[in-house]
This record gives sequence, C-alpha cells and structure tokens, in this order.
Amino acid sequence: MASSKRLLLVLIAWPRLAMAQQTAQGFAVERFYPSAPGGGWFVMDEMNIGGGLGGAISLTGGYARNPFAPVVSNEAFVDVAMAVTYNRSRVYLDLPMPVVANGSSGAGPSLNIATSPDSVADSHVGFDMRLLGKPGSSFRLGTGAQLIIPSGSRADYVTDGRYGGMFRLLPAGDIGRFSYAGQLGLYVRPAEGLLVPGSPDGNEVLFGLAAGRRFPSRSGWDTVVGPEFFGEASVHSASDGHTGFEGLLSTRLERTGDRPHLRFKIGIGHGIVEHFGAPEWRVLASLELVGSRL
Amino acid sequence: MLSDDGLHDIENESWNAYGQFTYISNWKLAFPAAYTNLNGSINSLLPTAERSFTGTATLYLGARLWSGAEAYLVPEVISELPLSGLKGLGGAIQNFELQKGGTETPQLYRSRAFLKQTFGFGGKSVKTESGPMQLGTTYDSRRLVLIAGNFSVLDFFDKNAFDIDPRQGFLSMGFLTYAAYDFASDARGYSYGGVAELYWDDWAVRFGRVTPPKNPNQLPVDFRLFKYYGDQMELEHNHKVRGQDGTVRVLAYRNHEDIGRFSDAIAVWEADPAKNATTCPGFNYGSDNASAPDLCWVRKPNVKVGIGMFAQQSITPDIGVFSRAMYSDGKTEVDAYTSTDRSASVGLLGKGSKWSRPRDVAGVGFNAGWISKIHAEYLSLGGIDGFIGEGAIKAAAESTVDTFYSVNVMKSFWLTGDYQHILNPGFNADRGPVNIFSLRIHGEF
Repeated sequence: MASSKRLLLVLIAWPRLAMAQQTAQGFAVERFYPSAPGGGWFVMDEMNIGGGLGGAISLTGGYARNPFAPVVSNEAFVDVAMAVTYNRSRVYLDLPMPVVANGSSGAGPSLNIATSPDSVADSHVGFDMRLLGKPGSSFRLGTGAQLIIPSGSRADYVTDGRYGGMFRLLPAGDIGRFSYAGQLGLYVRPAEGLLVPGSPDGNEVLFGLAAGRRFPSRSGWDTVVGPEFFGEASVHSASDGHTGFEGLLSTRLERTGDRPHLRFKIGIGHGIVEHFGAPEWRVLASLELVGSRL
Repeated sequence: MLSDDGLHDIENESWNAYGQFTYISNWKLAFPAAYTNLNGSINSLLPTAERSFTGTATLYLGARLWSGAEAYLVPEVISELPLSGLKGLGGAIQNFELQKGGTETPQLYRSRAFLKQTFGFGGKSVKTESGPMQLGTTYDSRRLVLIAGNFSVLDFFDKNAFDIDPRQGFLSMGFLTYAAYDFASDARGYSYGGVAELYWDDWAVRFGRVTPPKNPNQLPVDFRLFKYYGDQMELEHNHKVRGQDGTVRVLAYRNHEDIGRFSDAIAVWEADPAKNATTCPGFNYGSDNASAPDLCWVRKPNVKVGIGMFAQQSITPDIGVFSRAMYSDGKTEVDAYTSTDRSASVGLLGKGSKWSRPRDVAGVGFNAGWISKIHAEYLSLGGIDGFIGEGAIKAAAESTVDTFYSVNVMKSFWLTGDYQHILNPGFNADRGPVNIFSLRIHGEF
C-alpha cells in the first residue's frame, strides 16, 4: 500500500517536481502546433472526419530560424503523431522530439541530438469532433481539445514545465476546387509571472486561416497549394504587442479516397510579426499515411 | 482488443499498438560489511536497509510502410529510485529496469524509433505473432532483415529466454543478458545504429554496429560510428530435442570506445601520485579518494572484446532451462552495462499449466560474475569505475540466486513476488550477503 501511495504522490507531484527542479528561465518557444495526422494542413484542420474505424500516422520535420533571437536562434524538431478516427471523432497523440535548439546569446539552450538523443518535448493528446457538415461539404465545423503534457527541460526552451490545455473551434470547407480551414481557440497556460520581460505569459488566444486550390491529376494524385496564417496573442497583454503571427505557403501532394493513401506536404513560412516563437522564417516537411476506413 | 471485435486483422497487421506499465519495489535488508566507502571511494552498496523502486509506462507503436517495411516508435516514461545511487553491485543489480541517471521525477523519452526492412528469399512460411515491436505477419524462413535507427541492442541480440517478457520474468539484471556483455548504449540502455540479420531456416546470423556514449555510462551519445562504435555478431541455431524447441547462440562483441584501461590508470598514478581520483581534469565519477588511481587520466580510444554462449531448451511445453556465459577481456572499464568482466548464469522457467494457472510464470536462477585480476588490483588501490569501488576489495565472485512467482490476475495483469540472495556484492568478499525482497505489478494491453 505504501508503494501505491508513493506512486500516486509521484504522479500528482510530477508537474510541481518538474517546476521545482527547473530554473525560472526558459519556456516553450515553439508556436507551431501541428494538426492531427490526417488533418490536411500543417496547422489548420480540414475536419474531413467520417466513416468507420480509420487512422493516420505522420512524420513532420521542421526548422525555425530566430524564433526567439538571440536566445534561441535555431530550432529543429521531428514530430511523430498518430490518430484514430471513428465516425465524427478523432483521438490523437503527438510526440515532438527536439533535434536542435541553440542560440547566439550564450544564455540560451545548447541542445542537439548528441547531447539529448532521446528527448521528447511537450506531448499533445487530443480529441476532435466534427459537429456540423459532412466530409467534402462547403462548410464543416468541428471542435477540438488537447492536453499538453510537459516533458523536457525548460533550459532547452522546449517546455513550460507545466500542464496546459487547448480548446479550438475548427471551421473548414470545400467549394469546388478551393478548400479553406480556420481555427479560433484558447491555449490555457498557467501563468507564473513574467518569464522574460515583456514576454507573453499565461493564456493565449489562437487564431488562423488557411486557403488553397486543388489541382487534380489523372494519376490520382491531387496537389493542393495555398497559404496558412496562424498566430497567438497573450490574453492579458495582447494590447502590448505580445502577439506572434506568421504565414506559411504550403503544397501537399496526396491521393484521395477511402483507401490507404500517402500525403506529402512541404511548407515555407515567414514571421509576419516575429514574436516569441513566430520565427524569422520556417521550413516544414511532412509525410502522412492515412489508413482506410472500415 | 480490436481484433476480438473483428476490427483488426491480427495475423496480417498494417499497424498495431501495445502498452505496458510496471511498478517494481525492492526492499534490501541491512547486511554485514567490514567497511563502506573507505578513504573517500564512493561506490559501496550501503549496508543499511534501503528501498528502491521503478515505475515505467511504455507505448509500442508499429506500422507497415510498404512491402516488407515496418516502422516502430516506442515512447516511455520512467521514474526510479535505485539502491545506494545505483552503486555497489555488478551484474547483481536487483532490478533490470533501473537506468543510470534516472530520477524520481518521471521522465518521458523516446526509447526506440527504427525501421525494419525484410527481403524474403523463400523457404517455408513462418507465421509471426503480433506483439510489442512486432506486426503480426508471415515471413519467409529464408530472409534478410535490415534494421536502422534507435533501439535496444537486446531487441535483436541475446533475446530473452523463451521470449518471456522480462517484465514477467527474473528481476535481477544478471538474467536480462550476459552480465559481462558491455554492449554500447546510452545511459538508459538504448543505442543508435544498424543491424543486419540473415535467417536461413533453422540458422540465423546477425551483425550490428551501434553508438557508444560520449563518456562512460552517460546519456550523450557519440554518433561518429566510424570512430567510436560497438560491434556485435551472433550466430543462432534453433532445434528440437524430443519434439521440444531449443536454441543455441554464440555472441561476440568488439567495442572501440573512449574508455580507460585499468593498467594505464595504475601506471599513471604510480608514476605521479598527484594524478589521483581527486585531481581529475575532465569527466570523472567524483571519487574523494586522494590516494587512489582514477580512469579519468587515461581515457582514450581503446578496444574491448568479449565472447559468450547461450543455450535454452524446453523440457515440456511449459518448462524450460537456459544458461549463458560470457568472457570479456577485463582490461578496460565498463562503458555502458555492468562492471562484470566474466559471467555465467543458469535458470529454470515455467508456466503454471500443471496447476491450472497457465498464465502464471515462475522461475529460479543463479548468476555469477567475476572481475579480472587487473580490475581487482585497480579497485584494491581505491579506484572506482561506474558502479563499484569502495576503497578496498577482497576479490571474489559476485553471485545471485533469484527466485520469483508471477501470478496472472484478470488476464492482463501480473503480480510478482521475488527474492534475491546476493553473495559478495561488488565482487567483494568483505561484504554481504545481501537479501532483497521485491514486489512487481505489471499490466499490459
């Protein structure tokens, strides 16, 4: 019994212990929150959830230049994610693995794959549900929630060291050859006072919009090209300019239908308002394997 | 679970997902010791009563990518408290789940991420059951398998006796693999590199090259695979005796790592006593013994080799015996596994079918380990390595008797009681014996 009590105490105390053992410096700089596998866009989600039991896995790699210069000048990561869908619902798990995080200030992180070969940053466990519309319709509306599980070291600027939550409304639709998707949500981040002078602290509003044109081909591979804009604004200090905003031009090559198919995505982006995670520029590449629906 | 409802083809899987959690608690009783941490050497197993625990949770995810290609990702969480800071024992470490550098604060990490490509060359069709890190599928009995990425060497080399999950079997590290097999890995026991396996009916041969740690027993890894590496080769043969399955394996390893030789450390110290354990210029284990040599002065590219043999034989479908023994050269320090230079073990494992408990597992085993003469001389002078060294030593074989019974509860849970009796902890006849009682809770899906 003492063993089970101790285990329970350790689990409850995990975030507090993590905070106690890490310094006050450092927070999760990354503001690229990838969509669930099968979501279509890099950040937005096309909410084409339907059919029987299905799923998808994805591998996403990215590099950001100056997301928080000069403390974090270079940041690269690999995200592995998996999703299971059923009818209108989807559950998913995203595991981001930092590959490089370093800066030119000398006071920032110096993470690389040799020093931290097995590091996992904040993991996301999510649940999405399509509320309105049908797959392929001109308007769909979904909602999503995520639990952010802290992992990694704050000194590496890959985690806040605290549990968090995300709640989003996810509109999307297909009108002829054009597709669009958006997000409006709240990232619940427990505040702990100013982490860095002038930094966003506490809850953040998430927003974004994506639009693209589909170019079908006779080979059965469609190409979708279009921009995604996304950003976040600190709830308590949005008026002080603590808003990050970036744009991404993405192209994806995909097979469509209910049979298992691949999707390749590449994106290149630029920080429109470079602030705490919105980098000077960013490149992304992703490979998804979307399973069949039974 | 999904296959029971007809939603998943478990014999020809395109993906699978398994999980486990295991909580192990060890209670070490107080034991007699002529001395502890003499003259500032720091690696004694403390003679007072202690408690240790590990808690792990693992998710095993697998997916088929294209014909013959499989990908696996295994995130894991661990929380632990070792005995005496994981010091004072060689291959007799009482809980194989313990990792170097682990903390009570749960740590999430990626234990494995690798690709596996199989090329079939015909022969018979071999059905492989679905399991953690294995898609249910059918292979040719003659095939080439290539693996690349991040994995445990023990996923492919010196696999568990009778394929019993170690989380249902012996708790002592001496039964996980050869105690003297210093396979290259990071502080958690995982490696990066590649393995090639050739299966030809009843025979198999495999070769692997993996990364060693940058500094002995630490987490950062040296990815310069052509400069520092751990190579291993294994030959395996499966057979039947009176209709019962058996396996014989021979494994040899050769590591080229940045490690120190005991003779070099002694020679440097004898030539200049100022080059001792308290004046180390670089990476060291923190000994406070100013009158002792230390490996920190002599680390450079060195070779470490060893050869071992394993055999297992089922006596009945539910009872089997196994044995393994390895000889390593013993000239250099432990880089990644245990301080043992030579090891031998024998064990008996059985399932409870005879008493109508077919999912229960019971076992009794004996493991012995030795250190080389030069290793003992280094320790007798007060030197320490990654795990042992208490200022003096009366060198003797460190041995463990481990006995356990795992009760299956509600199909997916096991409760285990385990007892270990350790003689000459840390290969030192001046200390011990040690008695450790353990309890394990294990669940899986």
